[in-house]
Amino acid sequence: MTRPIPALDLAANLALAGVAALIVVRPRHVTQIAASPLLKRAIANRLAPAPAPPPSPLTKLRELRRLARRYAPTVQAKHRRLTRATGRKLNGSAALLAFSVLTDSAVEHYRGSFQNRAMYTPLIAAAVTLGASLFGLGDTRGQKHTVRDVVYGSAAATGFTGLGFHLYNILKRPGGWSWLNLFYAAPVGAPMALALAGLIGRGAERVRDTAPLDDATVLGMPAGRMLAAVTAAGLAGTVGEAGLLHFRGAYHDPAMLLPVTIPPLASAALAAAALRPGRTINRLARWWLRMTAVLGFAGVGFHAYGVSRNMGGWRNWSQNLLNGPPLPAPPSFTGLALAGLAALTLIEEAETDV
Amino acid sequence: MSDNAQETPRAIRGRAPDVFHPGGWVPMRQHSDDEVVDFAIVGTGAGGGTLACKLAEYGFSVVALDAGPYWRPLEDFASDEHHQAKLYWTDERITDGDDPIQLGSNNCGKSVGGSTVHFAMVSLRFRPEWFKCRSKLGYGADWPLDWREMWTYYAEVEAALKISGPVNYPWGPQRPRYPYRPHELNAAALVLAEGAEALGIGWSPTPLATVSAPRGHSPPCIYRGMCVIGCSTNAKQSVLITWLPRALAAGAEIRDLAMVGRIEHDDNGRATGVHYMREGVWRFQRARNVVVAGYAIETPRLLLHSASSRFPDGLANSSGLVGKNLMVQANQAVWGIMEREIRSYKGPPSLAITEHWNYTDTGKDFFGGYAYMSQGPLPITWSGTQAGKRGLWGQRLLDEMEKYNHQVGLKIVGECQPQERNRVTLTDQKDQYGLPVPRISHSYCDNDKRLIAHSLGFMRRALDATGATEIWDETDDTCHLNGTARMGDDPDSSVVNADCRSWDVPNLWICDGSVFPTVGGVNPSLTIQAIACRTADRIRSMAARGEL
Amino acid sequence: MSERYPGYDVLSKRNSMSWNEQTREVIDQRLALDPDRHLFFSDDEWPTLRALCDRIVPQTTVRPHPIPVAAMVDEKMYTNAGDGYRYASLPAMRETWRRGLAALDAESRDHHRQRFHELEPLQQDAVLKAVQDGQVTNRAWRDLPPKSFFTKRVLHDIVSSYYAHPTSWNEIGFGGPASPRGYVRMNFDRRDPWEASEARPGREQRARRENERVG
Repeated sequence: MTRPIPALDLAANLALAGVAALIVVRPRHVTQIAASPLLKRAIANRLAPAPAPPPSPLTKLRELRRLARRYAPTVQAKHRRLTRATGRKLNGSAALLAFSVLTDSAVEHYRGSFQNRAMYTPLIAAAVTLGASLFGLGDTRGQKHTVRDVVYGSAAATGFTGLGFHLYNILKRPGGWSWLNLFYAAPVGAPMALALAGLIGRGAERVRDTAPLDDATVLGMPAGRMLAAVTAAGLAGTVGEAGLLHFRGAYHDPAMLLPVTIPPLASAALAAAALRPGRTINRLARWWLRMTAVLGFAGVGFHAYGVSRNMGGWRNWSQNLLNGPPLPAPPSFTGLALAGLAALTLIEEAETDV
Repeated sequence: MSDNAQETPRAIRGRAPDVFHPGGWVPMRQHSDDEVVDFAIVGTGAGGGTLACKLAEYGFSVVALDAGPYWRPLEDFASDEHHQAKLYWTDERITDGDDPIQLGSNNCGKSVGGSTVHFAMVSLRFRPEWFKCRSKLGYGADWPLDWREMWTYYAEVEAALKISGPVNYPWGPQRPRYPYRPHELNAAALVLAEGAEALGIGWSPTPLATVSAPRGHSPPCIYRGMCVIGCSTNAKQSVLITWLPRALAAGAEIRDLAMVGRIEHDDNGRATGVHYMREGVWRFQRARNVVVAGYAIETPRLLLHSASSRFPDGLANSSGLVGKNLMVQANQAVWGIMEREIRSYKGPPSLAITEHWNYTDTGKDFFGGYAYMSQGPLPITWSGTQAGKRGLWGQRLLDEMEKYNHQVGLKIVGECQPQERNRVTLTDQKDQYGLPVPRISHSYCDNDKRLIAHSLGFMRRALDATGATEIWDETDDTCHLNGTARMGDDPDSSVVNADCRSWDVPNLWICDGSVFPTVGGVNPSLTIQAIACRTADRIRSMAARGEL
Repeated sequence: MSERYPGYDVLSKRNSMSWNEQTREVIDQRLALDPDRHLFFSDDEWPTLRALCDRIVPQTTVRPHPIPVAAMVDEKMYTNAGDGYRYASLPAMRETWRRGLAALDAESRDHHRQRFHELEPLQQDAVLKAVQDGQVTNRAWRDLPPKSFFTKRVLHDIVSSYYAHPTSWNEIGFGGPASPRGYVRMNFDRRDPWEASEARPGREQRARRENERVG
């Protein structure tokens, strides 16, 4: 077999994996990096608004007004409501991702006859993550929950371990790193969905934990922008995965192009918003993310139609659910898009806050 | 009316079977026998079916006749090896020579769509040098075709059949990406891959004419593994479900259960039409041009049987080569037993291939080349190998057969040399139509034997490297039939020219595997279809110039 | 000998998605074949053919659907369903069988003074081995090459009949009919739940359980 040019899929996933693995395995290390004056200065330089004009009586007045507003009880309450609601939204998108992982890995690992005991792990991890996320979704209290936090951490760890397993599964087959094995061996991207659920969940807990007077942060960075960056990367990886598998299906139906057109734009807009937020780009990102969220649900419908196009259609479900397009896969787009929307809310809040 | 496709013609009364819907019909333009159609085509397989489609699409009036029934695979094909023998050409033929060949099941089809209805779907291009193997490689005969031109026609056929193949093919010059992606490998194919990697040679998923994703009314392949007994899902892109529906839509008429017995000609030596039997009556279809596309036995049989006072040795036979140079492809195998379960009955039989020995010229003590592929024999075929080839019977046979799910094999498609002694002749015996039964004589030459020995030795090493045990050689099997009406540049040493046009009878064409001067080490169907596409283009331009 | 696929019955899939209507029809006909029916072979030839089938594909175990091999061969001869070729050294298919069975009896009489079906199994095997190797004595073989008769007709027709029957598929763990449902798991050591499970040492009980769930 000839080796393919490293797919976009891999690049995106590996980059994400590296960052995320670091976050999970060496959080302190990452905090140090994040807290390092060098980085702070670099970011500050990038993010710094134009040099402040010399203080004038007017600016002083404005500053006073800002402080007054910030410490006004109604504004504080609103702020608390917002972080809480956003945290719950993030729990919700983690739930959706975990659900997608749970059902997808159940189907795919059943197809793989659970040949290896480790193949039960993502089912358990995803089920627990789903439970924790649903709990978070219903939990109206304003702070993080240690159990959830630990569950999310281990989900992320499981995701990265799964990636290792899947890479090993690809490489040990004849042909090694080849198109054929990327198509039919264990999919590279699938475990990353679990890792993303974990990361977004951790983010959710951080956001919920925000003190009323602070802006939400994750690892010392603005939470909204951090989560937006992770989500954008996750979307890019998921696009890579869908692109690869739809390429395997030879894009035989034009609808198969949708997940490689809409979500990449959403991902790009979100990444831009993370890097340099602004009214226009935030709005743009919001719209593309909404479309991605809808696409994720519509994708289930498309895939259901795909199953019906296999021999015997739905009557032959015992074969076609396994060999046809995977029903549980597309909702991960929705999960990520919702996380992206929540991140945008945080970004906008931080912006208006200043 | 009986709806038994083998007893009563289906393509009558202005309609033909809709192959995609049980009990369905599509409209069909019809011609009367007395109407002089542009082309009467004998046979609707890889050559005739493809040509019928292309010519009809170019606006010619076409009647294509086939001796076989017009199946609707979804309703007519059972999942049963025994029953599906109905797809094979099982009329009596006599086989002799030093190495008589088995006919019927794996090399002859009697269906509308020809043997593509039960072919193994392996769709390979020739190695470019093979088109000039006499000049470039020192054996066989040069083709009057240029590989670069063929490359464009291969691409046309691959697109028409939506071949599912590897993203990058490891051998030969650049080719466009296959329209569909490769299929997942089964364990039998993985064994081939393991063996190839152990010996350090290349391997690839096989380019196959069965879709790996939905296409129109074709669902993706469900890996039921019964490809060579007829695909009951229409995943297989046979002539029956690809070129022929197009041909009908373009206005071609297809006549099933119509056995052509003789080609008629006028005093000027031009063909005037064909005599054919349908529903128990001999009829005569008039035509401006006659195309013979009956494959390497029926084509020379028909030409020889059309002998007249003007052409006493048979039609198109001034060279004396009609029926000669019959070429099979060597189909020897090495089999073994794996500790792991293989269950090779799942998936298309030949999912992995190596063309290493087609593209490597060193380390050989023979001319020509061979590919070898993974295998997935069904029980009757496998028992035939164990009993017929290995001579097992009694409890030993049953014990050996019990290892069915652990058996694994590698089998070649090997290039045999053209020899004039390998030929098709007519006997005095008559068949059910009253036509003379053909005699097929076949013997390997020394070069063939050296090729076979080389392949068996190499495959044994490959299988051994995968940990297979109880390895044994199956030393006599053949596949595919070609030659018997070769194309060339010289009327003295060929039957037709590069355009598949007879040198002797200007409105007689031959368009099937018979025209191959050599066979190469790959399955011929893709090349036959590519030649048919080229012939159609040539006919169109000649017609435009008034040269028909 | 213990079964390799205990409890596996390909017929348990008859009403599943693995079988379509046309397959059910074809297999039902085969199962309904009367093992004593012989429309082509005479009453005289019949016991010889049956004895021959018993030696080529011995059916020692009792099973729900014994394979009517001789009747299947008879059906092939009766319908004259040829294979598409005839070796020049052999007469036409039906004639080859008639003369071959007569020669087999003649050969048996030469050596044992009994017809083929009256011999002990070991004696029958010895006669068949001689025919397979071409080491025959009787004049009946003069223009019927024994090796070709044995390989191209006896083995070919009898063995292909045996393995056309579902009971033989159970023996070898073949999946049997597979349309519209085909297969999903193609890798080494993988089976779909609708495939036979092999009784490897230590997992006989599990194999039986899995085979009973096939459907």
